[in-house]
Amino acid sequence: MTATAPRLDWQFQLLDLRPSRPQPILVPAPPPVEPGQSAAVSRLRAALDPAVAARLLNGSELIRALQKSRREEVIPTTLEPLDALLAGGLLRGKVVEVVSRRSTGRFAVAMSALAAATSTGEAAALIDLGDHFDPQLGEAAGIDLRRLLWIRPKTLKEAVMSTEMITATGFQLVVLDVGLHPIRGRRVPGAAWVRLARTAESHGAAMLISSPYPLTGTASEAVVKSGGMRVKWLGQGRAPRLLAGVKTSFVLEKHRHIKPGTAASLELAER
Amino acid sequence: MSRIACFSVPMFPLAARLRCEPELLQEAVAVVEGNGNSAHVVAATRRARSKGIRPGHSLAQARSIVPKLIARGRDNEAERTAQEALLEIAETFSPRVEDAGEGVVFVDIAGLERHWGEAAAEASGLGPRASGESDAGGGHEVLLGRAAMRRCEAIGLPVRVGIAASKLAARVAAELAKSPTVVAAGNEAGFLAPLPLTRLSPELGAATTLHRWGITSIGDLAGLPESEVASRLGELGRELHYAARGIDPRPLIPRPLPPDFREGMELEWPLVALEPFLFIANAALDRLSKRLETVGFSCTRLELTLTLEPDGFHVRAIELPAPTRDVKTMLTLLRLDLEKTPPGAPVTGFSLVAHPDRPRRAQLSLFGPAALSPERLATTIARLISILGDGRVGMAMPVDGHLPERYAIADYAPPPPPTTRPRPKKSRGLLAVRVFRPPVPVEVNTHVIDGETQIAAIHGEGDHAGEARVSSGPWRIEEGWWAEKRNDREYWDAELTRGGIYRLYRDRVSGEWFLDARYD
Repeated sequence: MTATAPRLDWQFQLLDLRPSRPQPILVPAPPPVEPGQSAAVSRLRAALDPAVAARLLNGSELIRALQKSRREEVIPTTLEPLDALLAGGLLRGKVVEVVSRRSTGRFAVAMSALAAATSTGEAAALIDLGDHFDPQLGEAAGIDLRRLLWIRPKTLKEAVMSTEMITATGFQLVVLDVGLHPIRGRRVPGAAWVRLARTAESHGAAMLISSPYPLTGTASEAVVKSGGMRVKWLGQGRAPRLLAGVKTSFVLEKHRHIKPGTAASLELAER
Repeated sequence: MSRIACFSVPMFPLAARLRCEPELLQEAVAVVEGNGNSAHVVAATRRARSKGIRPGHSLAQARSIVPKLIARGRDNEAERTAQEALLEIAETFSPRVEDAGEGVVFVDIAGLERHWGEAAAEASGLGPRASGESDAGGGHEVLLGRAAMRRCEAIGLPVRVGIAASKLAARVAAELAKSPTVVAAGNEAGFLAPLPLTRLSPELGAATTLHRWGITSIGDLAGLPESEVASRLGELGRELHYAARGIDPRPLIPRPLPPDFREGMELEWPLVALEPFLFIANAALDRLSKRLETVGFSCTRLELTLTLEPDGFHVRAIELPAPTRDVKTMLTLLRLDLEKTPPGAPVTGFSLVAHPDRPRRAQLSLFGPAALSPERLATTIARLISILGDGRVGMAMPVDGHLPERYAIADYAPPPPPTTRPRPKKSRGLLAVRVFRPPVPVEVNTHVIDGETQIAAIHGEGDHAGEARVSSGPWRIEEGWWAEKRNDREYWDAELTRGGIYRLYRDRVSGEWFLDARYD
């Protein structure tokens, strides 16, 4: 591409003292336009009662308000103690990590969040690195399987890549369960989690990462770690035993807006 | 009143070649036909023509003028696909399109004024109207012609447009340097009169005779008495006289819609590596995608035909998981398929056929949960399947049966979200189960307490090992007892002292123990 170079005498125009040269006239600034306020809307608002006019929105204002309210919403896990710990649930546009190595209900938290999201009509995705999801039990837990995209990667790298692609597609809840220790595939660089957090933020998706040990570092909004667990068995002595459930506790390890260290206890029943 | 637009690509063999190899546009390139001593130039780029190379020169003559001349043979596959692309652009203006071959297409544009709104708006910002308009409707036709030129340029074909009441006049108008040229209705004879006689492409014998008579322009021929010309030159002379007066009785013969879209190329040298082939295939897929976009379709099935050396073909079909136009996705699927089953011989040409389908559409909701864009979802799923493989992305399905590890996966097609957002259902607080696929083989120690068999310890790898604190069982599952491979299992739940609750079973047929799941 070629560009015509300006003449030198125009470049040094300020040094030219000859009065005959016509001076350029600056274009006046356009009048200020009130964003989203057309003349018709302004007239209509002026004619209405102020209380009614305050609730009147035009199309673009309505879409902006809806987008803002959607971003401020949370997706509850519907496990009340855990929701209380996380100030309502999983924040949209943020990453929450649940860490636990033993049978303390980490997968149950993921199932509950998926059930809550899909039961309200949201599209959700489960990236299941360990290939542990049981459709029968998922349905029994309340997950609407029609709205759940199940992805079964083979390595952590594939899992992170799938999570990013799915989040960018517009899924409202993305759950990445990396399975049990040891995690399949090599570790991914820390920047990958930052990238995931940015993708979640730019698309307003709530992201839950469930792992046996902390992975996300500074990229997550909150980290919840299991405190301890007690298994409840039915039957004592010579009577046959039956697994009834577990009583577990979660501790808030990190949160950007809540003081960490708070604990919540949770009871999970075996059907 | 008939109105016909002619889209003509000058030097079509060269234009089709440059569409596939756009990097040669600024080079001295000649497209040649024939082999050995009979090879002669058919068309040449502006740079080659400026140095004196003309159509009809032998390759040796051309090389003596420009030693570094890049010579390319005529590529039938590239010409065919360029012609198809041209027809598809023409079909965006009118459904009645005639394929005249060699980069020429006739379009019936009579009575379509109301449909030109989009084209008129598209071309309205391109400057003053052409001087060729002379009737009330000419302005719209000029705009239509400019829109056609822009659309053809977008797919890599420089096109000239002529619009007239007959095919002959439209074609002659399209061959003029100024484009678009609009010939007013009824003014065909006046338009043709000043043009040289060669524009009518008379046969050599008739042309020589007319030259001897001193007839050089079309108007001169039209001024002669028809019967006198016919008596001296025969039926051929009568037809030529008709053409000179702008009379063309040939109707437009519309072509049927194609069932698929094809792109391909004949290669200069055989390819043996995958990467160079994918580089060329990427460009072909890109062209294919643009053509599909022109007609509002997506690709649902991709067929690849490879021409092999010394002879033979290798044909394969790739079913796309969802209709898509995403080049990256299609290329990844192509790569995976070729890596899985290589053709086994050098490749000297290829053609890609895309079977079209309507892209998925959905009405997005304002107040309900945000819906997914069907087009974007389809593309993402196709890309994920291309990366992860079949059966690893989809909708989980419950399966009838008793074995806990059973599952099925189906295509993901979520229903539309509700129009309003309901409140989420309260969780039942169930302990979830992590299923092990396949079950993990372990060794198990048991002991008998009060006549009941209990798990004493599990010996497995990593976390799957330890002394059992409490266990319960057995629960027996028997499935497929009538079949040769029956499942007869005894299940236990066991809590380990180091933490972790496992579900395990003993295969009663083999006597082996397996960890089936872990409660979590």
